[in-house]
Amino acid sequence: MPRNRSLKLLTLVVVFALLFISLTGCARKAEDTPTPTPTVEKVATAVPPTPVPTPEEVATAVPPTAAPTEPPPEPEETSITIAVLQDPPSFNGTVTDTGYELMVQELVLLGLADIDPWGNIFPELAAELPTVENGGVVIDEDEWTMDVTWKLRDDVYWSDGEPVTADDVVFTWNAVSDPEMGIWAPGADYTGSAERIDEYTVVFHYTGVYPAYLYQFGGESGPHIWPEHYCDAEQGFTAWDANQEPLSNGPYLLKEWVHGDHLTFVRNPDYFEEGKPYIDKIIIKVVPDPAVLHAMMLEGDADVEMWVSEMYLAEYQDAPNVNVTFSPYGRWVMRLIPNLAKRGSIDPAEPHPILADVKVRQAIRMAIDVDTITEEIFYGYPDTVWTEMFRPPYDVCDISRPKYDPEGAKALLVEAGWTDEDGDGVRECHGCPNAEEGYPMSMEFAIYAEYGEELELAQQLIAENLEAIGFDLKLEKIQGSIMWDSYEAGGLEQIGDFDLNMWDDGYPGLDPSDSLWSFYYSEAAEPDWGWNVGRWMNEDASYYIDECYCLDEEYRQEVFCELAKILDEEVPQILLFTAIDADAYSTRVEGVQATINDIVTWNVADWKIVE
Amino acid sequence: MRNPDSTEHRPEGLATDVWRRFRRHPGAIAGLLVLSLLMLAIILAGLSPYDPETSDIPSRLQPPSWEHPMGTDPLGRDLLTRVLYGGRVSLLVGFMVVVISLVIGAPMGAVAGYFGGWIDNVLMRITDTVMTLPSLLVLILLSAILHEVEVPLFQRNSPMTIALAIGLLSWMTTARLVRASFLAIRERDFITAAHSVGASHSRIMIRHILPNVIGPITVQATLEMGYAIMGESGLSFLGFGIRPPTPSWGNLLSNAHQHLARHPWLAIFPGLMIFLIIISVSYIGDGLRDAFDPFKVLKQVGEI
Amino acid sequence: MCWGDGLAVPPHIHSIGGDVGRYVVRRSLQAIPMLLLISVVLFALVNIAPGGPLAGYGRSRRMKPQKAEMLKRQFGLDKPLPVQYVVWLIGNDWMRVDADGDGIAESYGTRKGILRGDFGFSFRTRRPVLGEIMDRLPNTVYLMSVTFAVVFILAIPIGMISAVRQYSFFDIAVTTFSFAGQAIPEFWLGLILILVFYTGLESPFTGQPFLPSGGMYTLEADFSLWDRIRHLILPVAAQALGWIAWYSRFLRSSMLDVIHQDYIRTARAKGLRERTVLSRHALKNALIPLVTMFAVDLPYLFTGAVFIEMVFSWPGMGRLYYQAALQRDYPMLMATLVITAGIIISSSLLADIAYAFLDPRIHYD
Repeated sequence: MPRNRSLKLLTLVVVFALLFISLTGCARKAEDTPTPTPTVEKVATAVPPTPVPTPEEVATAVPPTAAPTEPPPEPEETSITIAVLQDPPSFNGTVTDTGYELMVQELVLLGLADIDPWGNIFPELAAELPTVENGGVVIDEDEWTMDVTWKLRDDVYWSDGEPVTADDVVFTWNAVSDPEMGIWAPGADYTGSAERIDEYTVVFHYTGVYPAYLYQFGGESGPHIWPEHYCDAEQGFTAWDANQEPLSNGPYLLKEWVHGDHLTFVRNPDYFEEGKPYIDKIIIKVVPDPAVLHAMMLEGDADVEMWVSEMYLAEYQDAPNVNVTFSPYGRWVMRLIPNLAKRGSIDPAEPHPILADVKVRQAIRMAIDVDTITEEIFYGYPDTVWTEMFRPPYDVCDISRPKYDPEGAKALLVEAGWTDEDGDGVRECHGCPNAEEGYPMSMEFAIYAEYGEELELAQQLIAENLEAIGFDLKLEKIQGSIMWDSYEAGGLEQIGDFDLNMWDDGYPGLDPSDSLWSFYYSEAAEPDWGWNVGRWMNEDASYYIDECYCLDEEYRQEVFCELAKILDEEVPQILLFTAIDADAYSTRVEGVQATINDIVTWNVADWKIVE
Repeated sequence: MRNPDSTEHRPEGLATDVWRRFRRHPGAIAGLLVLSLLMLAIILAGLSPYDPETSDIPSRLQPPSWEHPMGTDPLGRDLLTRVLYGGRVSLLVGFMVVVISLVIGAPMGAVAGYFGGWIDNVLMRITDTVMTLPSLLVLILLSAILHEVEVPLFQRNSPMTIALAIGLLSWMTTARLVRASFLAIRERDFITAAHSVGASHSRIMIRHILPNVIGPITVQATLEMGYAIMGESGLSFLGFGIRPPTPSWGNLLSNAHQHLARHPWLAIFPGLMIFLIIISVSYIGDGLRDAFDPFKVLKQVGEI
Repeated sequence: MCWGDGLAVPPHIHSIGGDVGRYVVRRSLQAIPMLLLISVVLFALVNIAPGGPLAGYGRSRRMKPQKAEMLKRQFGLDKPLPVQYVVWLIGNDWMRVDADGDGIAESYGTRKGILRGDFGFSFRTRRPVLGEIMDRLPNTVYLMSVTFAVVFILAIPIGMISAVRQYSFFDIAVTTFSFAGQAIPEFWLGLILILVFYTGLESPFTGQPFLPSGGMYTLEADFSLWDRIRHLILPVAAQALGWIAWYSRFLRSSMLDVIHQDYIRTARAKGLRERTVLSRHALKNALIPLVTMFAVDLPYLFTGAVFIEMVFSWPGMGRLYYQAALQRDYPMLMATLVITAGIIISSSLLADIAYAFLDPRIHYD
């Protein structure tokens, strides 16, 4: 009897052991992407580096590089590791926008033109940038449409040997604009069609005048150019295999992608810029825990970290083996969004009892101690922002910073008809324009949950500031996916179910037109049409926004400044500060530069190892 | 012949019996002491001069000192106060989960075990189905739902919703335990006797069977409280549990995670509290298990 | 028997054994409607959870509404829930769908449904869900099998010695350790281990960190068993602690039950050596409930542990699910949940079979 049972037990153990062994055996799964062997000779394009680019060189600028030294003759293979919190969903930066796909996209795909951290546009695939002056841009004054002609370089090749041609550009545009794909790329509303003129010339026919045409195919948010002969048009732009296994014309080739774990890239020997890239191998390692990533940077196991949060900055700046790079300008502006319409209504004609009065909004702005927030909570890194026109080339408007003046705020509230008669610390309406007598100054103040601890702290500080002048606030933290869902799905902002929200946003590229339209244009208050969720209606502002869709830079500056004045007086949003954009890199790497116009790998071809 | 006045062999009630055996278990006594102390501290949290949610930026991130025995958090709030208030939340979640587990599981198990037949079958199928749901995975979903959807009687982001989510996935073991006990006892003679005297089903269940089931249920309850507190902390770590600024041990740990290298006290103290409570509860459960098992000593000497 | 039985209820004791085969068939048949019911419940849960998949899409967070519209249609999210469920189950390539939003359904759908093996495409990556899962699953099984192996290698002797030397110092120490081990949150322990062994300690030979901070193996290096082991030490340790604590305790109580049985006394009386008595008779019987307990934990082999995978950068199933939950990647969520439920049902069946196999006293009706 015992023998029988022991046999059975033994069988079970053996079965489990076999299971374990067989599964361990196939644990290492490497996806090897076959890199097509290039058959073309090395291209010899000299690229003179420019140390500090100036705005005048916009039209014919060459790609700026880091400090010029000849590539060190490294006998050993050089390699760096970029550590990220998430696996990139794909290589397609137009379909998703987490930032990680943009980062890897920069390694393998080029755009027509790109933007450097200081705001200068330089050509990549384009031989030169089309402008009105050089005839590349032709505007039809009567119809108010324009044609842009791009001349491509003739010396860029895909890694399988095929040349990059106008066919690829046309193909990309058609794939992106295919209505079945449901992609909305910047400029989509104004771009009509793309036409191949010859092997290296493309013309885009616009249905209007779109000021940001130069970086429409490049930079951070514009689609890069995809290879026509390689991508499967049947599968569609959002799902073709090339999103996972791209064909490269950029500085690196994808060697291996073990999903969830790492990506390995090797140098593209036929990259069109002579001598570049300098680093032979780039490994992108997925480390989901920020504390562990931090430890790896300090130990030197990771060389580059994208998007460092303020909390680790101080430690990195003290560490001898880690440098931090800041982008020259900020982009993500933290702002308060008041609802000017009655809560729950989308009709601007029904005013919010408290916030519809501009004096109340001005008082709120005066009562917030932004400096304490930036100094204490964000470690002093952010810049204070009080106007939308704070980034070059439009940071020329003369809007002075609003004072921090709680007493003045209180006085303004009294003037607006809000006083505290019953002594409970909360004001009520006594003679205010939009609410009933005795209506308490009480409302909900919400932030979005995904930002993290610092935003909660900021919310609490602001709440204290406002409560000190007589507000009664209920603090909420709401998932962004619920706050910003569409009108039909009951997204809180689109349906107007909020009082005061706080989040950060900022426009990509150099042109604020689209962003201004989306926040301040009257039509943008229509549900699911824009993000003027405060339902602010101002004809003058809308007029100026219309006017800025032109190519006359001087006129645009005037228009923007007029708009800035209106925004400053009417306070449809209260701007607070910009979040920093910082990346960290090991001291053995040189050339890493953070930028808000693109992602940190924008100049990966220029990075060098210095040891 | 026994002396009726002697103090030995006096017939004792279940409770005294259990307590006597429990007392002999040093670990359990220690656990009970620690638990009582902690609970006392937590109840008295209101005596703290600090408010758990108001910020005090100038004092942020200070290491433990006389003023702040556990240090301060990134907003300058006293950590000891927050830990104690967090204890309220975590303990509340623990208790509520046990209550929900009992309220759902005990009746189900009792009815199933007592009546048997198709009733048993149906109830056990339901139990099996819920048991088959992958608990952590479903818990993540459930808490996401309960956080945002308006459930009657439960406020958003309150410990009750978390307790509800955890409780809905924890009652199965209690149900099975109760059912097993009812099944075993149902056939006993004294039950048949009760039946023959004409006692109703509910009377039998409550008066006769239930007292015998108290043992395993109590033990299970203590275990579950431990699981519930651990579950809440895990959920909060993932971002699905109690959300700040309300402190709970779970979200205190989660926020402390990123500061661990530089400000370790933020994580050490909440972690220590979780550790102490769960270990006390485990010891108490162990002691109860031994205390409720009247045959333990006999088993030990091999009589049965 | 001890209270722990409540977790793996033995079937009714009725007729003579040999009906195991019939029992298996019956249980398997019962499993199918159960799985179906579970899939409906899970589908409902997944879709009630507010915040749609479109949310996980970007740093700019606020999409152009038209873009959101089209994405919804692409994902089939504009259909009512029951229709979505049916499509998920049996696909839509037998019906016409409206792909371009013009209101006219002109082309056939492309999905085959889960019953035909089409688990759909991940919203996040647009890759087939099954592909994503198969990328991660071996890694999880790898880690969890090593963990369980370590757990049993340690827990069984510990539990045995503990039972034999009940109330000795060893036993009390082990009991304390076991309670402690289960009281420490895994994610916390994991990070502490990394801080100590990676940031804190250095190898005296190489000056490099003593143990790696995560990952399965050193990248771009050749395969080395020692390298794999180094990468396994910390994640296994962080997890195994709790399991060892639990299983050693469980075995201890199971052994205690067995040791005091009559047949053990008989064996002793027969004059067998204590060691033989213990290992051949007592241990084997004490292991039976352990085996069934393990079968209950078997699903972890496949689902992994979210906390460990996060802290130790292990590309496994747990993290995949967590990420999918955050971004409401419905196809991924549904596939993972249903597959896990299937595994749980199978292992529970396995538990019952193992129990019957090993314990001849149990019979099936």
